[in-house]
Amino acid sequence: MMSDQQIIDGCAKHDRKAQQVLYDKYSRFLLGVCLRYATDKAEAEDILQDSFLKIFFNIKDFSGTGSFIGWLRKVAVNTAITHYHKNLKFRYHVEIEDYVSVETGVSSFEEDFFTSDELYRVLNELPTGYRMVFNLYAVEGYKHKEIAEILGIDINTSKSQYSRAKVVIRDKLENLRSLKKNYSENG
Amino acid sequence: MKAKRKDNIEALFRQKLDKAEVVPDPSVSTTLMRKLARREFLRFNPAKFNIYYLGGILASVITAVIVLSSGSNRSDLLAPTYFSGENNKTEIISKIGGSSEKTTTQESDILSENSIDPTIKNEVTSAEPKNANPVQKELLRDNSIIIPANVGDSFSKKGLFTELSPDIKKLQSGFKGDEFLFESSVKEGCIPLKIRFTNKSKSYDSCRWSFGDGGYSKEKNPEWIFDVEGEYKVVLHLYNSDGMQATSSTIITAYPRPSARFEIAHEKDLLADNEIRFYNYSANAVKFKWNFGDGNTSELFEPIHRYAEYGSYNVSLEVNSEYGCSDSQTVSNAFSGSEYYINFPNAFIPNMQGPTGGYYSSKSDEDAQVFHPAFSGISDYQLKIFSKLGILIFESSDINIGWDGYLNGKLCEPGVYIWKVRGSFRNGEPFTKMGDVTLLRN
Repeated sequence: MMSDQQIIDGCAKHDRKAQQVLYDKYSRFLLGVCLRYATDKAEAEDILQDSFLKIFFNIKDFSGTGSFIGWLRKVAVNTAITHYHKNLKFRYHVEIEDYVSVETGVSSFEEDFFTSDELYRVLNELPTGYRMVFNLYAVEGYKHKEIAEILGIDINTSKSQYSRAKVVIRDKLENLRSLKKNYSENG
Repeated sequence: MKAKRKDNIEALFRQKLDKAEVVPDPSVSTTLMRKLARREFLRFNPAKFNIYYLGGILASVITAVIVLSSGSNRSDLLAPTYFSGENNKTEIISKIGGSSEKTTTQESDILSENSIDPTIKNEVTSAEPKNANPVQKELLRDNSIIIPANVGDSFSKKGLFTELSPDIKKLQSGFKGDEFLFESSVKEGCIPLKIRFTNKSKSYDSCRWSFGDGGYSKEKNPEWIFDVEGEYKVVLHLYNSDGMQATSSTIITAYPRPSARFEIAHEKDLLADNEIRFYNYSANAVKFKWNFGDGNTSELFEPIHRYAEYGSYNVSLEVNSEYGCSDSQTVSNAFSGSEYYINFPNAFIPNMQGPTGGYYSSKSDEDAQVFHPAFSGISDYQLKIFSKLGILIFESSDINIGWDGYLNGKLCEPGVYIWKVRGSFRNGEPFTKMGDVTLLRN
């Protein structure tokens, strides 16, 4: 069983065995990250492959400060962002004054009510632009200013895209919840 | 579990997905290792490294040789271009936005202003020195290549004739006071902005245009494309062999281009709800015109549209900027991957009144009373519905007859049922699909 340090050293030397161990150990976790950013599993696997290529070639850049898995995750997120930019034909921004959506209410969801599969599906069904902003803000924890830089959009666009993404997500979750509740009550 | 009052969507996703794991397909690993092997081979090939280095060294040596050997001939090459009366077609791209016309009574200054940029020397090697004035040659050598200090802002706003020396005024007298020496096909527009400039002056030996974005031309009537938004001062310089010159200029305004971009939401909802949401990512646009392909349009920013029937529609969005320029994007066959498809809903609510025989219509679809597919291009069809225990509840080989939720006249229990369909599309391609459907009680 190789330790993380042994894996890192081996990969820095392009040792094939260490590379395989790294893949076996972390590919499931990293695919979980990539799947959040993609429209479906096939696209997520593309991003996963590109992420691993970057990891294998840049592993000497891992300075050892901070967790290794945190660094891996960051590479995967950055690869997802690059993938998004490559597939974007136009950049977009929105004139915020006219189009901010008003949040009509707050609803909370019991945390164990949904499976991770269901949450993935909600994300996969979002339009790509919303999905990027939502992931970066809600899951990775970036601020809107940083998201604006990363995606090349206006900071106000990031905010409005985020609040609209939440409206769509909330809709889907509520639909899903009532469907599930009906089923469990009646069968 | 206590429901929290606060909105907890972020926490929900973070908690569930932060450490979620998904198993990749085994082929991912093989493809990855193959790509890796290829990349590593390229990276470590020493032969390639040497070739690149060698090439780089050769290139820089050759460039250095050219630069040094042409240094002493610079002044010879400059003179004839301006004073020989030739109009070279060569375009000279330099980093200066526009050369200064600040003039004094000294001839040397006039000449130094005409010597724009060291790169010019490379372009004019083809010109033969004709009747180069020996006096001017000397002056050039003394002044060599100097980029004038104040570039581009010594014109008057009107851009006609600035205060020039008496010699230069002589050239002017051939022209009327307020007359522009040239015309442009348009003065403003959206990028990329293509303009044809026409030189209407007379009695000059050579001319040079500077377009204000770093571009130059020595053609009489050049065409120029402004591809970056902004305001540009386009200047026409006229020269004659006495060393006199005149200028004229105008302002061109290039507006940003709007770009149309949209995305269509993929909703995997019940059949009855045919509402499709459209997301608008256009830039530099203030007016929007959507065409949904079914005869309906909208001018909203992000409309929601309900299609009366399933079909493949061409959706387009046309946008206009505040300056009137437009752009559009069209997505053809927006709602089907191909012309042939068959999709089932994941839930339905049978009519409580009694069995209806499974016939369905858009009316029954409004209440989602019959379980049936949305389809296109089907030639063969067989549907079977099973209970969770595997008991066959319903079957139909007529695509126009669905399941009304009844078995032998009795309404089935609410819950999850399994459906299986097989058949073939009109092109002969067979299909088999299965899934589950939830029978809901009203």
